[in-house]
Amino acid sequence: MNDPSSLPLTPKGKNNLQTNTNNAVKKIQSIQNSKFMKLLRPILGVVVSLYIVFRLYQVLVVQHEYGPDTWTRLLISGLIIGGVYALIAIGYTLVYGILFMINFAHGEVMMFGAYAGLYSFWAFKIIPVAGNPPTNFLNAYPILAIILAFLIGMTVSATLGYFLEKIAYRPLRKAPRLVPLISAIGASIFLQNAAMLLFSPQLRDVTNPEILRRGAGWTIVVNGSNVVLPYTGVFTFVLSILLLVGLYILVRKSKLGRAMRATALDKKTAALMGVDVDSTISRTFIISGALAGAAGVMWGLHNGLVYYFVGFIPGIKAFTAAVLGGIGNIPGAMVGGLVLGIVESMGPAALGIDFQLKDVLSFLILIFVLTFRPSGLLGEVLSEEKV
Amino acid sequence: MKAMKFLAVFMVLALLLAACGQAAATEAPAATEAPAATEAAATEAPAASGAPEACADALGCAVFAAGDVIKIGMGAPMTGGNASYGIDISQGATIAMTDAGNIDGWTFALDAQDDGGTAEGGAAVANKFVADPAIVAVAGHIFSGATAAAMPIYEKVGIPMLSPSATNPALTTTGSTVFNRIAFTDLNQGNNAADYIFNTLKVKKLAVLHDGSDYGKGLADIVAAQFVKDGGEVVIEQAITPGETDYTAVLSTVASKTPDAVYFGGYTAEGAVLVNQMKTTGLDKAIFFGCDGTYGEDFLTRTGANGEGAYASIAPASPDSEAKTKFNAAYLEKFGKEAGSLSPYTWAGYDAAAALAAAVKQVAVVADGKLYVPRAALVAAVRGLTNYVGLSGTFSCQSNGECNVDKPQFVVVKDGKWTNAQ
Amino acid sequence: MKTLIRQSIRTGITFGIVQVFFILIAFNTMIGIMLAKVSGIKNPGEIPAPKFLIAYTILMGLWVGIAALSKKKSLPAGQKLVAGFTASLISAILVGLLEIGMTAILVNKIFIRDFLTVLSFDFIKATLFGLTPSMGILVTIGCILLGSLVGVGLNILSNLHAVQEHWKKDLAFIKNISEKVQYSIHGKYHLIWQIVGISLLAVAVILIPMKWGSYWNYVFGTVGLYVILGLGLNIIVGLSGQLVLGYIAFFAIGAYTMALLNAPEPHNLMWGFWPALLLGVVLSALSGLLLGLPIMRLRGDYLAIVTLGFGEIIRILLKSDVLTNFTGGPRGIQNIHGPSLFGKPFNSEVDFVYLIIAGVILASFVYNRLQQSRTGRAWLAIREDETVARASGVDTIKYKLLALAIGAAFAGLAGGIYASRNQFTGPDEHALMASINVLSLIIVGGMGNIPGTILGAFTLKGLPEILREFANFRLLAFGALLVFMMLSRPEGLIPSHRPKYSKPKETAADLQKKEVPHDK
Repeated sequence: MNDPSSLPLTPKGKNNLQTNTNNAVKKIQSIQNSKFMKLLRPILGVVVSLYIVFRLYQVLVVQHEYGPDTWTRLLISGLIIGGVYALIAIGYTLVYGILFMINFAHGEVMMFGAYAGLYSFWAFKIIPVAGNPPTNFLNAYPILAIILAFLIGMTVSATLGYFLEKIAYRPLRKAPRLVPLISAIGASIFLQNAAMLLFSPQLRDVTNPEILRRGAGWTIVVNGSNVVLPYTGVFTFVLSILLLVGLYILVRKSKLGRAMRATALDKKTAALMGVDVDSTISRTFIISGALAGAAGVMWGLHNGLVYYFVGFIPGIKAFTAAVLGGIGNIPGAMVGGLVLGIVESMGPAALGIDFQLKDVLSFLILIFVLTFRPSGLLGEVLSEEKV
Repeated sequence: MKAMKFLAVFMVLALLLAACGQAAATEAPAATEAPAATEAAATEAPAASGAPEACADALGCAVFAAGDVIKIGMGAPMTGGNASYGIDISQGATIAMTDAGNIDGWTFALDAQDDGGTAEGGAAVANKFVADPAIVAVAGHIFSGATAAAMPIYEKVGIPMLSPSATNPALTTTGSTVFNRIAFTDLNQGNNAADYIFNTLKVKKLAVLHDGSDYGKGLADIVAAQFVKDGGEVVIEQAITPGETDYTAVLSTVASKTPDAVYFGGYTAEGAVLVNQMKTTGLDKAIFFGCDGTYGEDFLTRTGANGEGAYASIAPASPDSEAKTKFNAAYLEKFGKEAGSLSPYTWAGYDAAAALAAAVKQVAVVADGKLYVPRAALVAAVRGLTNYVGLSGTFSCQSNGECNVDKPQFVVVKDGKWTNAQ
Repeated sequence: MKTLIRQSIRTGITFGIVQVFFILIAFNTMIGIMLAKVSGIKNPGEIPAPKFLIAYTILMGLWVGIAALSKKKSLPAGQKLVAGFTASLISAILVGLLEIGMTAILVNKIFIRDFLTVLSFDFIKATLFGLTPSMGILVTIGCILLGSLVGVGLNILSNLHAVQEHWKKDLAFIKNISEKVQYSIHGKYHLIWQIVGISLLAVAVILIPMKWGSYWNYVFGTVGLYVILGLGLNIIVGLSGQLVLGYIAFFAIGAYTMALLNAPEPHNLMWGFWPALLLGVVLSALSGLLLGLPIMRLRGDYLAIVTLGFGEIIRILLKSDVLTNFTGGPRGIQNIHGPSLFGKPFNSEVDFVYLIIAGVILASFVYNRLQQSRTGRAWLAIREDETVARASGVDTIKYKLLALAIGAAFAGLAGGIYASRNQFTGPDEHALMASINVLSLIIVGGMGNIPGTILGAFTLKGLPEILREFANFRLLAFGALLVFMMLSRPEGLIPSHRPKYSKPKETAADLQKKEVPHDK
């Protein structure tokens, strides 16, 4: 990696690890595996694993608190939220893979998408459609309305992502690494407050079309009790997976994807090979913005609540998910998102702890995973030599 | 030489700030006369020479020349995740300032400052207010943390506080003379709610949830303890993470205990989500029982049909008095939102500011074309508030500063409206 | 000419969008109110008089005019006029379009405030200056054009370019003098200068806090605490190069140690201030070590997220039901007793300012000594290249842990003082945004040096206080300024110089040349 911006905390114009990257990495690993660390980690691992097994045994077998119906419900809820996390995490991972910067304002990009979706649905509700009885656009053509709302939300977020990169990040591409991070934090504060001032601090409710009514769903019977499979949840999950698969194909097969991968590997060489680096980076931001926008609209559809702070927590969680899976790695972000969602929903119940502590649990899992796999669950593909 | 350099930078900046401070002090429209060695007084020398006859007060007077505005301060979170509370309450209080009219031509104005809801911000705002001689009283602060840090600062100069929403029980136990609140006390509300759930609703198995805030947790703990004392069973007690919008996981575990009712201590934002998601997580038959934080029109619009049959305990107030209707119309006209759609404390914000204005009117003296507001007398007047009829209740302050200790009233959602429950 | 017009159009569109945005967040009435207050009106109300809004519009035009010419140093006056006029016309048209839309809302009595919250009918009328819609729009466009022409005129008359050159010369002159002074300081008068300077500063430090009101003392104290925090984080991030995002957790440990040992509730231990402060520092340092042990293998952003997680874990645990009996839960701890020294209790902001200044001096001293010691050089080596450092015989794990522990100890010190000054601490005081603030301040100020940290602390904690007049717009302006500062000074306000361990005459270029072989 000979781009200065890819080196941690290195002042301008200072390069290292130009050649022999792999050797150096191996060397680091061998050095890091000093006696002390060699002993510490297995002990830690065994202790933690034993404790987890013990708790699981106690909760599942001894206390037997929850029946299969509860577990099914928890799984459903975890998968849905995990899908959304994965979608947002992709945005972090794409940007990180190319620029090695944490796009801290990504959650706010998602928030604007959520607002766009909210306002589209409201506007569709107002447009009257003749009929017997007279109805509105939202319920007369629900599928069209949903597609339009998603397109609007994705467009808004993609535009925002594009301008964010152009205004706040592009001039800093050669700056030390932490500088774009602070710029992103500034942008995040700005966007949050801009949304608060534009749309008021009120919490808003999304008007769903009738076919995707919140609170309704298919009912399945598990262990003699009804488990509801909410329409919005299934819709969210399926759409997330579709978008993720689509993105994966885009990055693997298309010309743009090849350009992105080339830029991620080595900007200078990519430019020499005829890749337009600037436009590739711009497009990356557009794609990650569009995905965040879709996540925002889904968030609104499923949870029904939109306000100016709605992007903050999912943003942090998705960032965690991206790192958990191995930042810079697309399948890693998907896996990380789903794992995080499931840990959050099933973890506290499985270990018999308070639900208030679910974030503690997810961060502990993160620390645990990173202690044994310092670059995330699937994280060898893009990241190891860079950080 | 680094040490020199850094000290130099330090001092230059310090001088700059000092200059700002001076500028702010000279900008202030009115002067404080304070015989006591308070810091606010240090910024201004005693001004009016003929004052002593008009002002004989232990803590001095706030003096207003013709054309000055009497300021009521408010420390509230105006930015960040809880901004809707601060903005809403300050908007309610703004209307109170207009309604308060004037004292022989001196009008009132609200000075709402952002404290972020934290102790650091609360202390900064309090220090700013005590440095401004035109501030006579503070309607706030809004969050308990900010209030706790601000209290000792007001105590030193004698600025009375009347908080619409700081519910932390410990606040009134420190022996502060300036702190009062019209927020509904947790103990009273919680005990009565638990009794009502057990005796009137005949619930035997109760699940208790709260949002982890000092308000929600305080209430939930009291309800759980009293319910057990009454002879009921609390099957599960869980805290949720506020600010999220998916609580299906925690509700699923609650459902596995098959409670008859779910008590929730917290605010509408999370309460409405819980009510909606109870329908899909196997709790569709359980009663939802909220508190004054979940009461309001907003709860109805957000829950729709799912909210039918939900209970709440609220401070007893004439539900729709003429004054309240007038206020609601004024609020909608001015801010473009239904009153109560941003937070449940709009009316309390109005009440706090209006009650303070009334207390100022009670003690203010006009002499020589100047208005004098004696500070110690104002502190006593606020503490001495009796049978003040506001929009959110009737308030009489006790000696510790609690002004809203009536028994709660219970309401239930029926046909999409809050109605009195039996 | 064509490119000039194209550039001007682009500027015009950008500024048009900015102005439309300003109107949609009611920034115009806010500035109008400020203008009214400045001109002596005491209670301007919610919506200022039309003349102030006209003044605002002209100011906006002026801004466009100046901005359109900002990068065009030497153009003939005619071209400048064309550029300024085009840009302002485009932005005026955009604002005009917005006002046409607003007029439509007003005429048809559409209730749009559910979507855009500021667009009340009163506000729309005020934005049109209380005139008829068509007149209002014309006046707006006229004002913007007028303002921009004034801006262009100023540019042509004063010939800003020449002024800039002049300034540069002046600056060079000043720099020259200061270098000479520095030389003389380093030279034979070294000791005398040092004594005179330090004693002058000491007198100022002692006298100034007495002159301030309690408000500025409080703000100054907060800034001082953040200087200590900034120095601590600078040891971790600036010197040893580990990105830590949950730094405020150590601050929380210091604050809670102070609170638990010195408050009547929940434990009523009453150890007194000084032992609690000491214990807080020690506990923070220990927690730094404990956190560091398992994660020393991680680097860069992985370390960042893990430490972010650590910060959140501490906050959630402090708040949780599990520890309520021990830490007071979400209610926090109230009534924390302050320190006393030689029998004199600290009970005003002034006393605390002195305490904090003492803390800052201590922290700077420790920082300075560490930076120049063998340890500091080891950290620097790790920051620049961990592998090479290791190969040169630096025990990286030991030094990294040391950095984490010492940085954490600084935070513990600040936390203890903070809790006893506010007499309150609660879990929400220690949220993620506080960590981010500390990180921002060292980067904004310039990483790795003490003056930069101080300047950064003033910027990050002093600026929001100065921006109080902006009310709701405070954080918006703050966020924009943060981005702007990074764009204009990516190295920070006071960039760090690489410490020179060789002869002082060597220039930076020489150093770089020398370093090349190490790169391979």
